[in-house]
Amino acid sequence: MFSKVLIANRGEIALRIIRACRELGVRTVAVYSEADRESLHVRFADEDVCIGPPPARESYLNIPRIIAAAEVTGAEAIHPGYGFLAENAEFAEICARSDITFIGPSAEHIRAMGDKAAARRAMAAAGVPTVPGTEETVADEGEASEIARELGFPVIIKAAAGGGGKGMRVVEDEASFPRMFQTARIEAETAFGDGSVYLEKYLSRPRHVEFQLLGDSHGRVVHLGERECSIQRRHQKLIEESPCVALTPDLRARMGDAAVRGAEAIGYVSAGTMEFLLGEAGEFYFMEMNTRIQVEHPVTEMVTGYDLMKEMIRIAAGEPLAIEDKPIELRGHAIECRINAEDPSRNFAPSPGRIEAMHQPGGMGVRLDTHAYGGYLVPPHYDSLIAKVIVHGEDRPEAIARMRFALESFIIQGIHTTIPFLHELMGHADFVAGDFDTKWLERHMAEGTLVYRPVH
Amino acid sequence: MLDLEFLRGLIEAVDESGIDSIEITRGGTSVRISKTPPPAAAPGPPAYGPPPAVVSSPPPGTERDGAGEAALDDGWLEVQSPMVGTFYRAPAPEAPPYVAVGTRVSKGQTLCILEAMKLMNELEAEVEGIVKEILVQNGDPVEYGQALFRIEPA
Repeated sequence: MFSKVLIANRGEIALRIIRACRELGVRTVAVYSEADRESLHVRFADEDVCIGPPPARESYLNIPRIIAAAEVTGAEAIHPGYGFLAENAEFAEICARSDITFIGPSAEHIRAMGDKAAARRAMAAAGVPTVPGTEETVADEGEASEIARELGFPVIIKAAAGGGGKGMRVVEDEASFPRMFQTARIEAETAFGDGSVYLEKYLSRPRHVEFQLLGDSHGRVVHLGERECSIQRRHQKLIEESPCVALTPDLRARMGDAAVRGAEAIGYVSAGTMEFLLGEAGEFYFMEMNTRIQVEHPVTEMVTGYDLMKEMIRIAAGEPLAIEDKPIELRGHAIECRINAEDPSRNFAPSPGRIEAMHQPGGMGVRLDTHAYGGYLVPPHYDSLIAKVIVHGEDRPEAIARMRFALESFIIQGIHTTIPFLHELMGHADFVAGDFDTKWLERHMAEGTLVYRPVH
Repeated sequence: MLDLEFLRGLIEAVDESGIDSIEITRGGTSVRISKTPPPAAAPGPPAYGPPPAVVSSPPPGTERDGAGEAALDDGWLEVQSPMVGTFYRAPAPEAPPYVAVGTRVSKGQTLCILEAMKLMNELEAEVEGIVKEILVQNGDPVEYGQALFRIEPA
């Protein structure tokens, strides 16, 4: 086991990593920008190093300063968290060259799964069902049109180098295809410096169901069940839960096996998540693989009892997986709500500023992962996630009831948050019935059938 | 050597006790910690903590260039580290240090080496003046923004 780990991140995930390290007897080093001097991860780490001014480019994305911080503190390993440098293959390589263990997969794995078109090809070769679409990127509009006709509309044009919804266009019919094809290519070129696009059949009401994977350096790969993540706004997840109501034990086994098969085929080591699209008839297709620990990992922790962060660190230290060798059992039901410092009534405009007062939810089956506290100044320079409320119950109704009161009793004064909005979602008939897909939230927001009423 | 752990412990001790201020000298470096701020007229060694006057962040899109400098009440400029690394006073272990207290420096003159990732970076003075204080020791790890020198512009 490492004696000292540097956390190349901030906020709630930095605290999460510190907690796991503390339990493993590992000393921690926090790095922080000048905007995060009063942050809890700085306070609770054993050592801390200021690495730059507020902008991420000059601090949390500044590879030389982060490596130097590891050198001067003698950290043997770096945990990148999620976002920032977590899926930066160059960073993983520089760590290796500097004799620092990157707590995550290899640079090759990051690259392989980061190229979305190449990832599709690799998974298809491994026998993982993929969405019908092009194997290679398509540059010629005429050729692309022909392929789209064969796949059958609607189709989606996606950037090969992309993510986060950029360089994507859904085309409903043949007539709008040429224009959308050009627009998608230009957007991809602008956002990622690479205008390559590929085509896929578009599923109109899919669920986003992802499987948690763990692979160790001894060749063992397991899955820890699924997370249902369909409640999204602009491709950003708001609510995640496990298990997924649409999965039968048989479907879970088939999807889980496919996920493991895909990870084994590339020799994957560390924590990772395979994302699938699940159609209404139970057909599932590989969408992409995330080669990092995810924001919503606590959902899986609550229904399996396994500490994913400790496992990830232990894997990086060369230890074998501590997961029992039997099909994973999901106990009870867990739901996570992501709390953002945003104003839902003003199109989710960011709401940084000082938290004047804060009261946290608690009680049986309620977990809060947050770096916020009364008096904390939420900085404007980083993403707006300030807390994750995770509940666990014997069944889904109990979990929903626990989440409703957890959100009602979660007081944050001084800034706007999405707490009232999430509380509204928790009470919506469709959500309670488990009847939704990845487009559900945006449909209801467009129709005005979601209303934000303050809860306190 | 005055390290972060020692200084933190000292601050806690002063905070929890009835002592108003304490000054400690170790190996040529002095630290003064007081609960009441010193009078503006008297220049003393700075209390440990974030730099009292910080250069405002450059607008987004511009790279921070060279060492940051902060103007303090006594008119001395604080030279802050622009990077994370190890501080060395001389170009090589056996070589004489670049500067000492009292050295007159000109603009562009090398003050020290900041080493990171096996690369040696020379930190240059941005003003002409006299080195009044050296706030870190040879071989100390330094963080971004950490005060390294105090120079009296002249």
